Amino acid sequence: MAEQSINPRRRRILQAAATVGIMQMTGPFIIKARGEQAIKIGLNDPLTGTYAELGKNEQIGCEYAIEQINAKGGILGRQVQLVVEDSTSADTGAAVQKARKLIDRDKVDFLLGNVNSAMALATAQVSNERRIFHVVTGGHTDAVTGSDCHWNVFRVCNTTRMETNAVAKTLFNKYGKKWYFITPDYAFGHTLQQGFEASLKQFGGTEVGADLVPLGASDFSSYLIKAQAANPDVIIFLQAGQDMINALKQAVQFGLDKRFHLAGAQQELEVLDGLPPNARVGTWVFEWYWKQPNVPHVAEFVAGIRKRNGGKVPTARHWFGYVATWTCALIANQEKTLDAVKLAKATENFKLPPEVALMPSDTFYRAGDHQLMPTLYVGHAQEKGSEAEDLFQVDELVKGVDAALPVAETGCQMKWN
Amino acid sequence: MRARRETIADIAIWFCLATMPYWISLLGGYTSLGTRVVVMSLTAMALNFLLGFTGVLSFGHAAYFGLGAYGVGMTIKYLVPSTPLGILVGVAVGTVAAALVGALIVKLRGVYFAMATIAFGQVFYFIAFRWNSMTGGDDGLSGWRRIPIDLGFKTIDILNDDKAFYYLVLICFAFAVATMAALLRSPFGRTLLAIRENERRARFLGIPVEQHIWLSFVISCFFVSLAGALYALLNNFADPHDLRWDQSGDFVIMVVLGGMRTFWGPLVGAAIFVLLQDYLSSLTDNWMSLIGVFFILVVLFFPRGLLGFLRRQEKS
Repeated sequence: MAEQSINPRRRRILQAAATVGIMQMTGPFIIKARGEQAIKIGLNDPLTGTYAELGKNEQIGCEYAIEQINAKGGILGRQVQLVVEDSTSADTGAAVQKARKLIDRDKVDFLLGNVNSAMALATAQVSNERRIFHVVTGGHTDAVTGSDCHWNVFRVCNTTRMETNAVAKTLFNKYGKKWYFITPDYAFGHTLQQGFEASLKQFGGTEVGADLVPLGASDFSSYLIKAQAANPDVIIFLQAGQDMINALKQAVQFGLDKRFHLAGAQQELEVLDGLPPNARVGTWVFEWYWKQPNVPHVAEFVAGIRKRNGGKVPTARHWFGYVATWTCALIANQEKTLDAVKLAKATENFKLPPEVALMPSDTFYRAGDHQLMPTLYVGHAQEKGSEAEDLFQVDELVKGVDAALPVAETGCQMKWN
Repeated sequence: MRARRETIADIAIWFCLATMPYWISLLGGYTSLGTRVVVMSLTAMALNFLLGFTGVLSFGHAAYFGLGAYGVGMTIKYLVPSTPLGILVGVAVGTVAAALVGALIVKLRGVYFAMATIAFGQVFYFIAFRWNSMTGGDDGLSGWRRIPIDLGFKTIDILNDDKAFYYLVLICFAFAVATMAALLRSPFGRTLLAIRENERRARFLGIPVEQHIWLSFVISCFFVSLAGALYALLNNFADPHDLRWDQSGDFVIMVVLGGMRTFWGPLVGAAIFVLLQDYLSSLTDNWMSLIGVFFILVVLFFPRGLLGFLRRQEKS
């Protein structure tokens, strides 16, 4: 009997404990009335999965920019707040959902993101539907500022075509006109290869072979043997991330770097950092590089990011986040409005000030397709530079306007609705 | 007594669903989250038709979900800018594919059936992933959006009016759920239960087991492709990930969470899954581990799912 009289009470206590526990989770659901509201910038980027590192680096760049913006008086005199949502790396449905969450529930004034090209395209459609000023940070597919361009969408990172155009001439003039492609078999790789093929045709070179490699392949030996047998002047690797690491490692193990020139288009500091030193070879394009001794404000930016990045130098991803966030603040303060149409109109041909651009020549958003025209850094990977993290030697600076296709050829037909 | 209680539960569920757009924002949600809950519920309930009521585990339902999505997207983008026609095409494509695949694998049982469904699912995934010129490949199928429905006397703007689109989805959901409930009450549905309980005995009774399982598979995929078509319309986008095996895994998790073998269980599971994902992922980067732990706890302590557990409590 005694047991029975204790049990219900114990159960009640357990229930109470569980309720209190659950209430911790449900509390923030209720939105309180706000007085002077902060301006909200929503970042919708992958924080989990394959692209987590890239997404988080962009987030750090955004946070650093927000801190500076607030220190300088915010946007229209109001403080700025960054609202971050994890878009996941692969589930585009979730990314779209998060974009809607940021716009419909959190009522953000600006939207930033995404690293993943599919998500950049899909969320751009959402922001366009909702008429929100949107800066795409790191999705490279041409369509974002090409066939699927929108009046409210601007992009910081380059198109794949700009990257291939930037490096193609150097490769052709310096290393030879017979090229072999090792291409990841999905949209990103295909468009890069098409870009190079167009250049090759223009210069009168030959494509001696091309292999399509499944995404996520770990063994490149059969492709490397074929490439070797074709005896090209240049072997072009179009992989990204871990695939690029595997491909280059094996190419160096096969000794291909001694006999052919290895090259490609987009390369990231994150990848070079993941390679063994002897595999840091080849000619590549960087979208931003931290070591630019003659460019003002870069040292300051590097120091600022180092502080919040565990002592590591910023990569292009940090720069994307930083520039995207600053773009929103600069344009809103210049126009003294949050109206998306007015902001978008003003961003066309808007030139970034040097402390934000952090690049040697003029950096501006092109009218017509809303693509940022930055500087592209063509150079070669190096085993070891003057400093531990100096893994890339810039040989040539290419202006974005020279690398990009003319607006008429991008397929972008801007509709202001 | 039980029947009455079930009627009350039914009314409560329909009432909640019918009024959702009006209260979800008070709880920190937003209308399109509600739409997502309904779409995922439809998927999970359709999968449960096969898994819970026929006793056959499919790990490839995402393929038909995705075919529905691409069907509607490609119809609107390349053929006719009409939402209802797009939905019809999406459902037809998914169902025909299921009828063909189902006929090939219907003799397999248990884990072999599950593996065959994964394999066929991946076939469709790779087609969507590789066929860049038509499906957009890894970039997904973009550049189209749902088209307002023209009824002749009135145009329903499902594109810009979130609530209108929610109710379109809810109508499709109601149609699907009512059909499934009616089927389960029919002799056909009873036969499926008999097959689930004891296949050998069902066979001895002269029931053509293979045909029944095939039909159940096709019906299940019919509703899953309907859900897929609605999902693509919700996102205005179709993505190869919609067809991948891990998406199928998510569907199975939703069903198991809520409780297979109960009719409304998958709805509860899908709602929990979607809301938890939406809510936790805003709080922490480690939301996947939390969902994983939650799933393990449910499987350990409520092996019949949340609704199955409640029902048992009620009985005892």
